Amino acid sequence: MSVAEQHLKTGPAKADAVEYHVDAAAFEQDYLKPIHKVGTISSLLLTFGMFLPAILLYLIYGHSPAWSSIATGFALAMTYAFPFYISEPIAYYPIVGNAGWYICANVGNGSNLRVPCGLVAQQVAGVKEGTREGELVSAIGISTSALISIPAILIGALLINSIQQFFPEWLLSAFKTYLLPSVFGAVWGQFILRGWKYAPIAVALVYIPMVLKVPGAWNILIAVLGTMLVGWAMLKFFKIQA
Amino acid sequence: MDWKQIANEPWIWIAGLYTCVVGFYMSFYFLRKARSFMHQQGWTPQQTAKMVRGAAITSIGPILANIFVMVALAIAISPGFAFQREGVGVGSVFTELAQVSNAAVAVGEKFGDPSFTLKGFVLAVLIVNIAGWGWNVEGIFTRYLGKFRQKVTGGDEKLLAVIAACGMIAVFSYYTVGNAIKGGGLLAATLASVVLSMFLFKLADWIKKPGLKEWALGISMFLGMFVGKIVGG
Repeated sequence: MSVAEQHLKTGPAKADAVEYHVDAAAFEQDYLKPIHKVGTISSLLLTFGMFLPAILLYLIYGHSPAWSSIATGFALAMTYAFPFYISEPIAYYPIVGNAGWYICANVGNGSNLRVPCGLVAQQVAGVKEGTREGELVSAIGISTSALISIPAILIGALLINSIQQFFPEWLLSAFKTYLLPSVFGAVWGQFILRGWKYAPIAVALVYIPMVLKVPGAWNILIAVLGTMLVGWAMLKFFKIQA
Repeated sequence: MDWKQIANEPWIWIAGLYTCVVGFYMSFYFLRKARSFMHQQGWTPQQTAKMVRGAAITSIGPILANIFVMVALAIAISPGFAFQREGVGVGSVFTELAQVSNAAVAVGEKFGDPSFTLKGFVLAVLIVNIAGWGWNVEGIFTRYLGKFRQKVTGGDEKLLAVIAACGMIAVFSYYTVGNAIKGGGLLAATLASVVLSMFLFKLADWIKKPGLKEWALGISMFLGMFVGKIVGG
């Protein structure tokens, strides 16, 4: 009986109890190569897509903003977005892998939707993040979430008025205020189970900058890089593994 | 012409559909490729189907939340613009509204009051979209992220696992602690979801019901949300 068949029969008694081994050469040639090809082309098409509304507005209605106001607006926008351009790939890429990152970067909703779905798929499969096996499983979870969310958002936008009438106000308010904190809490609980030894240092590295009123994206960067550094030191000097 | 007249015309729906079709195809291709490669490597179709099911269950809550929150954006701007932003390349509604406000400031107007005109809207359409431009460009260079990581870690599998675990614990510590310290319903929602999620995943191991893991995150987030609502009102 293969490892995979054994796993299917009994299920992963513990998340890391079953070891899978993906052939490295096949992974590069048969999986990563086509993923990069489609991912890069899609990213280019979506980069163009970001300009499409402004282009259509100009072509159909003849309206375009002045260059000076574009420069001012762009500078204001970047003060908010730029730190996230740095912190998100550092934090997300190691766990979501290549396909997962293409989707996080281009389709969005990384923290509240893509990572939780990738994580659940990894838990169901009993594989670790940061491995080839973890990357494959995460790709399944994250792609699935995108394939559901994209049509759901389209339907939601078309039926926006009915949605407001169909759901009671208290439920809409619960979703708007409390679902996201609950998603983050539930995912955090999972990560604590998988790497409890890093949690105290991560919390300290989050809380101290928060008290010092460090802007959010920089706070994330400090916490991520600081925790990674401590994790590296624990592995190197005390042989403590993830 | 008033900006609200053109904000929900077909052009914005067409722009939204374009990004959705590309995003959908990319995701579909990745799912198909990952599954077929895993089947070649010894996983069974039933196993990959379980992963798909787990992710689908987990995605229900956040997607519903996105749709509900999108209502606010649709009311503020238009359903078409909300769809174009939320379908693919989404930022949070707060971010989107902040970026519209930034665009209004750049043309000397204020979003949300009568001073906001077509001039502000035209700039907002461009700015809100190109604010997310950096992520798309990072997407183009994804292949180099792997090489960069390989260079930093020297290909050490144990170190790669440490880096992945530390990165995610740190990111979600930020979001969780950030909500918890606000107290009230947010603290209750956070605590309930943390404890429930840990308990349900451990329970799946204890009672040897791995299928429970497919539901654990979804159940934890919904119950956490209701606990938050009950406590916070």
